[in-house]
Amino acid sequence: MAEDNLARQAGNSSGAAMPPTTGRKHMIPVWFFVGILLLVYGILIFITGLREWPHPPATVLSNLHPTFWWSFILIILGAVFTFLNFPGRKR
Amino acid sequence: MLVADTLLPGPAAMLLSATSRVITLQPVDLTIIIIYFFAVLGIGFYLKKYARTGEDFFVAGREMTAWVAGLAFISANLGSLELMGWAGNAYQYGILAAHWYWVGAIPAMLFLAIVMMPFYYISKTHSVPGYLELRYGHATSGLSAVTFAFMTILMSGVNMFAMAVVMKTILGWNFTFSLWVSTFTVGIYVALGGLYSAIFNEVVQFFLIWLGALLIPILGLVETGGWSGMVARIKQNFPGQNFTHMWGPMLHPSQNPMGVSWIAIVFGLGAVLSMGYWTTDFLVVQRVITAKDIRSAKSAPVIGAFFKMAVPFIVILPGLLGLAVLPFHLFPDNVVAANPALHSYDQVLPLMMARYLGPGLLGLGITALIAGFMSGMAGNISAFATVWTYDIYRPFIKKQASDRHYVNMGRWCTIIGLFISIGAAYIVNHFGSLMNYVQALFSFFIAPLFGTVIIGMLWKRATKAAGFWGLLAGISTAVGIFVTISEHPSSVKWFCFYTGAQQLAQQMWQALWAFVAVAVVSVIVTLATRPRPDAELRGLVMGLTDIPSEGDLPVLKRPFFWAVICFVIFLILQWIFR
Repeated sequence: MAEDNLARQAGNSSGAAMPPTTGRKHMIPVWFFVGILLLVYGILIFITGLREWPHPPATVLSNLHPTFWWSFILIILGAVFTFLNFPGRKR
Repeated sequence: MLVADTLLPGPAAMLLSATSRVITLQPVDLTIIIIYFFAVLGIGFYLKKYARTGEDFFVAGREMTAWVAGLAFISANLGSLELMGWAGNAYQYGILAAHWYWVGAIPAMLFLAIVMMPFYYISKTHSVPGYLELRYGHATSGLSAVTFAFMTILMSGVNMFAMAVVMKTILGWNFTFSLWVSTFTVGIYVALGGLYSAIFNEVVQFFLIWLGALLIPILGLVETGGWSGMVARIKQNFPGQNFTHMWGPMLHPSQNPMGVSWIAIVFGLGAVLSMGYWTTDFLVVQRVITAKDIRSAKSAPVIGAFFKMAVPFIVILPGLLGLAVLPFHLFPDNVVAANPALHSYDQVLPLMMARYLGPGLLGLGITALIAGFMSGMAGNISAFATVWTYDIYRPFIKKQASDRHYVNMGRWCTIIGLFISIGAAYIVNHFGSLMNYVQALFSFFIAPLFGTVIIGMLWKRATKAAGFWGLLAGISTAVGIFVTISEHPSSVKWFCFYTGAQQLAQQMWQALWAFVAVAVVSVIVTLATRPRPDAELRGLVMGLTDIPSEGDLPVLKRPFFWAVICFVIFLILQWIFR
């Protein structure tokens, strides 16, 4: 398992590699933390964008609803990072 | 000048003209900021169990992949003062400020990757002073370590002070509250997880910085109708001034507001100052030392270079857009101090945030600034902990102790270092003029250190005495030039060849002269002293070191290939914005 982990991470890998000697093969990759945070932020900003759709804030270009659309970027990125690096998921 | 008046809705205009604060946050913004603080602390607590040995705590087990090390490398440099300060410089000097991101970074980062990284990696050093210890011995390493530790902790304090002032100015937050909350958060997560924690959080911060700041240039370009529309508006707002060309106004210092020529940019900034920062400042080098193998160690700075090349999009472009769309002028700090109703250059980024970002996005943007601040502070404090423990405490104070003892020392000096930084922040708060001096002090050591390290890596004849005296001569030269210009401003023409040279131009020439001093003294002392046997220098010097093969890799996986691609893109950018 640990050797597999090392071999996997030797290429274009993500997360911290875990040498077998350290016994840290279960360390959650940093990309998982990134994904969760972006996902949570995306959902919060999506709800905000949805609520303010009828009455956009008094900012320049608010008629384009940047809050709403930007939340999709965050949600998609967050979901991809979270899914691909979910603890215990075999890749 | 007031071309954008009609584009700014009334409430936003009122917000921007408020003197007490630039931005007002809504509950969703505060929620986003609070979640961020809990997230970074959570990562620190999670990683505590993995930071048991010295290798774990100080060099993150040397098991980071190229992407993790590369993003942490660039994130440690992306402090919020950097973001706000350079956006302000872009407003003040135009696209000339991008020199600090391109010629002032890319060649140096690629040089680190291809030429210097193998030596750091093969010598298995834990720090830059650690390399000097192996190459030149105790004296040079000690001088480098003490100056670095001292300056890092002072710089950390200055950054804390500046950030707390920024939070007070743009958000109306209490100075002490901002200072202590941010500092304690960084202190806890670095003390718990060591460099693991710092690096993990830097990767998280990297994404927040980009996703929090990226929308500003996008919306700005939409508003102005693209690059050409922005340039047209700037010309309309500031007739007769050239803000959008990088090399054209560089033929003579009198042609640009910075008072700098291409010679100083190429040789002072590109060949010395940036080389010094990106290849020997342990704050950034520490991140790539953690790479798990030689290919990752070489790839990490290349990955960082690609992103560094893109940073002007979120830093320089907002400054330029400020010139195009803001309905009022921004002014230097001293003018704003006399008239608080005005806004300073450094406020251009928050002003642009207030212009485009509504609730939610504004919270994300402010979180990006806080993340930048914390990544910079964590970088300072983790580098300080390593250099203090391994390069000062272990060789000079307690040579024989258990690994656990040194890890505990690292944890304690993280906390103590932060308290010293807080003390420095309060001192600067009471004696404001100290800030410029402390920032200048840091620049004294960059160029001489680079000269000493690169001579040691490339010239096997260089002796121990040459390392020490060369470094000392370089530092003395830099200090001497700074003091002379400060006391006798007219002397600037002797060092910079132009009486109108501004502070940034002076720094470039100061670095160049310091490097020359290191080179001259190192050569003279080397020729007068006995060289070390080759056997002692294996693994430390070019020509005596077998660089491990990266294996039989396809071209697309070779760091050198990507370094070439990166350099070609860098040259194309210079041509486009010439």
